[in-house]
Amino acid sequence: MEIEKKYGPAATIAICKLNAGETLVAEGGAFMAMQGPVDVTTTTRQKGGGGIIKGLKRIFSGESFFLNHFTAKNISEVWLGTPLPGDIMVHELQGDRLVIAGGGFVACESNVQIDLQWQGLKSIFSGEGIFWIKASGQGKVIINSFGFIYPIDVDGEYIVDTGHIVAFEETLNFEISKASKSWIDAFLSGEGFICRFKGKGRVWCQSHNPKSYGQELTPHLKPKQK
Amino acid sequence: MEFKIEERPEYAWLTVKVPARHKLFVEASAMASMSSNMNLRALFRGGFRRFLSGENLFLSEFTADGIDGEVCIAPGPSGDMAHITLNNETFYLASSCYVAHSQGVNYETKFQSLSQGLLSGAGWFLVKMQGSGDVWFNGYGQIVELEVHDQLVIDNGHIVAFSDGVEYDIIKLGGYKSLFFSGEGFVCRFRGRGKVYVQTKKPASLIAWAQAFRRIKRSNN
Repeated sequence: MEIEKKYGPAATIAICKLNAGETLVAEGGAFMAMQGPVDVTTTTRQKGGGGIIKGLKRIFSGESFFLNHFTAKNISEVWLGTPLPGDIMVHELQGDRLVIAGGGFVACESNVQIDLQWQGLKSIFSGEGIFWIKASGQGKVIINSFGFIYPIDVDGEYIVDTGHIVAFEETLNFEISKASKSWIDAFLSGEGFICRFKGKGRVWCQSHNPKSYGQELTPHLKPKQK
Repeated sequence: MEFKIEERPEYAWLTVKVPARHKLFVEASAMASMSSNMNLRALFRGGFRRFLSGENLFLSEFTADGIDGEVCIAPGPSGDMAHITLNNETFYLASSCYVAHSQGVNYETKFQSLSQGLLSGAGWFLVKMQGSGDVWFNGYGQIVELEVHDQLVIDNGHIVAFSDGVEYDIIKLGGYKSLFFSGEGFVCRFRGRGKVYVQTKKPASLIAWAQAFRRIKRSNN
């Protein structure tokens, strides 16, 4: 499957070119357009594993409960978009594993397994979702971001704000901690929690933090009645 | 008419040179700046149906008085803009994507059939542009032009405009399970010959995302 990125970094879409028999698994809501003979089925899981429980878990990770499977009967194209203005990255897995932060998953080839990974109690306090998605196997994964994406090769130690993590290689260890030694400084600076990566591997970061953007909007949005 | 669209695709911005005594029609409140000899008149365009849909009932009509003038136009949402020249042709726009048109083109609001209007993200109305002249329209994200063929399917929320001769019906993506569960709802399947213009972002997704950031107000009783 060939995946082409276009109109980046703000209006980005992924154009996936499918050969006969190939399947693309995409998050519900990502579909924009398709050309060619494509069969579409919707499941709560990937074919050959999981089920409702996996679907429920996916909600906790900030993803859609449902996955759409696009199977090409002949050469066709499926176009995928992203909800926020931002970029897309295509990462090819070759037996290695990638951890994708909440809400970042868009689609993958059918030979990629996606599962949820419990990030430990600490991640609850980080406000970034309890589960992150772990992608493994062989094939391409499509991930979205808010703003543009920049990679960082970690060798030793590096710190990223939890809201700016897009994905990272599983070879890295990490711990979530407060941004400063002092609770007061961490709170007043607005930085809150950070992720401290250790070891050797690559982290992809997004230039903007969707949560900060959302919180800027809050005073201007009509309150929900309860 | 002579024009330029700058800062595509994020902050597309249109400047039109209007020859003396010519008219330019623009979406209400979209004018950003203009030369001092431009004369503005509010043109009643809507009927009862437009009133019901909550859209603006008026179009702005700009006339160049005496000498040539120019109007700079920026639509409400930031995004891309596109232009098409009509040559005794008909062209359809999602109502929210209309920006401006020149003299010689007739602007008509078209009520979609019940099923089409109800189901398509374009809303109840389409704008039917007919005649010879210029039409400008906007979209969220980048506007992409697609050639229609028999196996083209597009999500409702991404459709901006289409040319005459293009037919579409509303279908569900996949089976009935997809309809309720896929998160995609309805999509348009196109037939016939012509062009469809799509936007790479859809406003509905942004709105759905922003919902999570609304405050919760408790009622007192």
